[in-house]
Amino acid sequence: MSSNKIDRRDFLRVLGISGAAATLAGCGNTSIESGAELVESYVQPEDFVVPGVGVYYASTCTQCGSGCGIMGRVREGRILKLEGNPKSAISGGKICGLGQAGVQMHYNPDRLTKPMLREGDGLKVVSWDKAMGVLNARLGSKSTLSGQQIAFLTGEISGHQKVLLANFLESFGSTNHVVYDALSPVVGHGANKAVYGVEQPVLQIDKARLILSFGNDFLGTGPSPVRMAAQYARFRKAPRGTLIQIEPRMTLTGANADRWYAIRPGTEGVLALGLAHSLLQHPEFAHSIPQELAAALKPYDKETVAEITGINADAIPHMASLLWEKSPSLVISGPSAEGHVHGFSNATAIHLLNLILDNRGKTLQGQANHPFPQLSPAFGSYTALAQLNQAMSAGKCEALLIMGCNPAFTAPTFVPFANNMGKVPFKVAFTTQLDETSRQCDLVLPILSPLEDFGTHVAGYQPAGVELMIQQPLMEKLYPETRGIGDILIDLLKQRKPDAYKAFPDYYAYLKTAVVKAKPVFKVKESDDDFWEDALRNGVLRLDLPPAPIDARVAAIKVSAPQATEMGMQYPFYFVPSVKADLRDGRHANLPWLQESPDPMTSVAWDSWVEIHPTTATQMQIREGDILEVQSATGSVRAKAYLFPGIQPDTVSMPVGQGHTGYGRYADGIGANPFKILDPNFDEQTGELAMYSTRVIIKKTGENAKMIKDEGPTTLQQGRKLVVTMAADQAELAKEITRVTQ
Amino acid sequence: MSLSNLIKNWSSLRVKRPYEGQYKDKDYKWAMVIDLDACTGCNACTTACYAENNLPVVGKEAFSKGQAMHWIRIERYWGEGDALPKFPERGAQFLPMLCQQCESAPCEVVCPVGATHHTPDGLNSQVYNRCIGSRYCSANCPYKVRYFNWWQYPERAWPNPLEQQLNPDVTVRSKGVMEKCTFCVQRLVEAKNRARTEGRKVEDGEVTTACAQACPTSAITFGNLADSKSQVAKMWERQQIDLAKDKQEKSDENMRGYRIFEDLRTYPSIVYMERIRDLQA
Amino acid sequence: MKVHIKNILIWLSLCCFCSAALAEPFVQGGPIGSQTDDGFNALGPVVEQPIEFPHKTHAGNGPGQMNINCMYCHTYARRSNVSGIPRLDKCIGCHKMIESVRDKPRIKKLFEYWEKKKPIPWKKVHDLPDFVRFNHERHIQRFYFREHRPVREVCGYCHGDVGSMNTARRVKALSMGWCVSCHQKEHLENASTTKTSNGPNDCWQCHK
Repeated sequence: MSSNKIDRRDFLRVLGISGAAATLAGCGNTSIESGAELVESYVQPEDFVVPGVGVYYASTCTQCGSGCGIMGRVREGRILKLEGNPKSAISGGKICGLGQAGVQMHYNPDRLTKPMLREGDGLKVVSWDKAMGVLNARLGSKSTLSGQQIAFLTGEISGHQKVLLANFLESFGSTNHVVYDALSPVVGHGANKAVYGVEQPVLQIDKARLILSFGNDFLGTGPSPVRMAAQYARFRKAPRGTLIQIEPRMTLTGANADRWYAIRPGTEGVLALGLAHSLLQHPEFAHSIPQELAAALKPYDKETVAEITGINADAIPHMASLLWEKSPSLVISGPSAEGHVHGFSNATAIHLLNLILDNRGKTLQGQANHPFPQLSPAFGSYTALAQLNQAMSAGKCEALLIMGCNPAFTAPTFVPFANNMGKVPFKVAFTTQLDETSRQCDLVLPILSPLEDFGTHVAGYQPAGVELMIQQPLMEKLYPETRGIGDILIDLLKQRKPDAYKAFPDYYAYLKTAVVKAKPVFKVKESDDDFWEDALRNGVLRLDLPPAPIDARVAAIKVSAPQATEMGMQYPFYFVPSVKADLRDGRHANLPWLQESPDPMTSVAWDSWVEIHPTTATQMQIREGDILEVQSATGSVRAKAYLFPGIQPDTVSMPVGQGHTGYGRYADGIGANPFKILDPNFDEQTGELAMYSTRVIIKKTGENAKMIKDEGPTTLQQGRKLVVTMAADQAELAKEITRVTQ
Repeated sequence: MSLSNLIKNWSSLRVKRPYEGQYKDKDYKWAMVIDLDACTGCNACTTACYAENNLPVVGKEAFSKGQAMHWIRIERYWGEGDALPKFPERGAQFLPMLCQQCESAPCEVVCPVGATHHTPDGLNSQVYNRCIGSRYCSANCPYKVRYFNWWQYPERAWPNPLEQQLNPDVTVRSKGVMEKCTFCVQRLVEAKNRARTEGRKVEDGEVTTACAQACPTSAITFGNLADSKSQVAKMWERQQIDLAKDKQEKSDENMRGYRIFEDLRTYPSIVYMERIRDLQA
Repeated sequence: MKVHIKNILIWLSLCCFCSAALAEPFVQGGPIGSQTDDGFNALGPVVEQPIEFPHKTHAGNGPGQMNINCMYCHTYARRSNVSGIPRLDKCIGCHKMIESVRDKPRIKKLFEYWEKKKPIPWKKVHDLPDFVRFNHERHIQRFYFREHRPVREVCGYCHGDVGSMNTARRVKALSMGWCVSCHQKEHLENASTTKTSNGPNDCWQCHK
């Protein structure tokens, strides 16, 4: 009864399972056994493979767009744990919780293991032959689709995957690569471009003596949180820098501020102009600011600004005086300042302070101009999705390919993307797991997890020089019937452009050729093979390039006065969606470690909640756990009340990322989805969705439920001296022995 | 520990810990420094611990009952006094709380079966196969860092194929067993074994815990206090913290190091460095 | 060091067996408690292996026996916690040169695996509870490399004199009390000293 049905790939699973089963048994197998377990040997291993000894391989984290270098610990063919790769300046050998959870995306029990094809209302498992047959019939050599008829919708994507994808579209004469990000950085980038001439200036956090942040959560959800946290650690060493955070709802960064101000949402720009007005009083700046600008700032005296922003009038000149005392400073704007109808103006007004304070070249630098801009990411935007949605609605889209984003979950109610998908005749999803969007597709192709596939990544935010990050498999694929997106695209391209792609047997060959072609840039004297091997071993190809200068002039700034929203009676509360650093827009809600990782501010896990200021709660007789209905003009959601002092009293806040309905066992049925109550307000300059400008009314439902949270009955120390705080002028940091990386 | 061994080493086992110079001639005494001014409360350490130590995800229901198994957790406080501040103007107060590996540990003395005891390296060990789940240790722990397996997590926390991520160096605990932070003892033992084979001691920086390794701000420093040249020993010395004292005599008032609940005479192995706030801002 | 995945991951495979006995079985000894060939009391059951590997022929030092050092095949024991099972190409490395036994049924079976590039599903004879982590490397390093004890003696502390057995059988208690009784003994620190020390006495050395 010899059976060869289990092929070699299956065996890796079998080995994994039996190995893990042994571990799992834990205290189960409590006696000495003989002959009960198998101990298969390797057939022909590499010499460095020793059973019981972990080996580390370099790769790149793809959990967010930061592009951190990682090291995967591999034992007996299984990836066990991810660490930071010290060779990458982006991660500096460190890793965040979100990155750690990459292994759970790979081993997720809800992974898609086989291709699925629509049959009536449901999706049915089919073979790859069948799936590729369907794909080729629609998008292969005989396809007559062109231009806007085909669209490839992705999340933020960089490197050679992006290039390959563009080449694929080009074969249809199309450039219709639509990049969508529910938490789009586009407004901020636009304002940066307008003021500094670059989309993403490099923030030299560690070089600043004072950071004034308008809602920029650089420690939690910024463009490169691990790198910025390391810089923050140096910023806090002698001479210790001061962090002031101004935002309507306390973020992780705000929680670490020396001084935190609660501001009325949307009035950040007014405060920035008020600060500029205050700075004018200082002789050093009085003459460096052009006359016309000074005239434009005149209306922003501290009393007026205090009235609009809700910040104490005396605090404004105080902040201004700190700004000129503690030079160089760094003023940054963040999503909660940018996500308004006048978000762009808010951001430019904030950046103006950097110009007045002359922080350019000191704490703000341009990113190095690097030799492979085509590999840099395309950033997602709301407008891109809205345009696609319109084309779909008008029946202009014939084929829609989707990867790495979930608009059915994240798109606001007034963008009925999920409905309009019905008007597209052919929809294909490339995904590792079914989500709300892919469930509506006609063909769902199971792709390799990032820990099983090759790739390259170039982060949009390059903190020092430029790094071409290499992603390589950390283990053999878990499921035999999954394929890399690169391989699928190469297959299609071989149909579309046989001459150009016949030289590449697979994606690996393509990628290796492409990376090796870049060898001259790195000025190394190695054979092509050695160069490639070194790139895989190090996980990163680094170019130490000098930062580009920032070219900007104060006179070039047109100051427009952002208007504070009038207090409406129908919807009396400002609604601020908050972003949890690990769940982000909800794409990681399927990872159990992250669901169980409590929110740092509220300690809530496995749930959504409504943050409300204790004073407001007392007025409305709301207690913790009361189930509230949060209603906007667009829709309503329900969640438990959490009394939170770190919030402006006229504001309520809810975290995004929860409320899934088709994203696997760990995400479904948890909390509510506040994306669905966002009002259709848009930034007047860029047309982006103004995420922080929704107004809501709070209704009590009369129900109450237990808060799912980690904190105990008291959030006060009550004299127990758990966290002791010392005044900065007392601490003698220079005398301390410290250990800071990099 | 066998009976004969117990009798033979009776005097050393009965000695009151800690005493001056206890680890002077020892090879290892593992200890930690956590800088609360660097800690941002980001939870990277917690997730790293889940990955390294096979901590089960308990799920919504058990989490709401306070049964989460996070060996290291981030506590967040708003203030000292007895009323919530209207606005937390100086930010939040984060505290990474994990087993303090006390030198005179309240948990050790109450275990009826000797499942938790003091190792020669100065750790509080927890031996799962000896534990009968009386939970006395948890009741007696002032830091509340011991976690009890109320459920048979091996059967429910790692649905296939999640169990393939489990670290083979760490036992998966079953129902009825107490567990706690081990200072990643599997890494320590591996490093000590390697050093012994090479005929030397473990060098500073050669081994670290999963939490310290992950921490993006390097707020956690781990090392060997018995090695006076180690980073952690130098930090303890500069902060004028003496392992064997329950009340530190500091010549320099402005040194930030302190130990939590020192007055309970637990003699913890973790020194916290005070959080700093610029009150002029 | 090559890092290409195709190199690092080793193709392993599993297969069920033809149960038809091709070889005349060795005499494996009686039930638990009976005397084994090397005179110890057998404490574990007879474990049927896919190939009845004659340790005696390879590691024995009698006439016609090869007297091969245990660690020639069990090469991971001195480098890792686990000794592992010898890699298949190790067997083949010698046996492809040994024409004289090529048509013996057991060797034929061995080559069948090799040609299919499939690992042999050996069964574990010396299996400890899952909460115990025995370290092979330290024991070998201490007693073989430092104290220069004969290898058959060193491995034999826990495995018995496998060189006198055919398929291995458990002949030692492998219980905690048995481990500790040896850890409490004074052992020479190395071959050129009279200084002694005993094994670690820390629960966390093995339980973690």
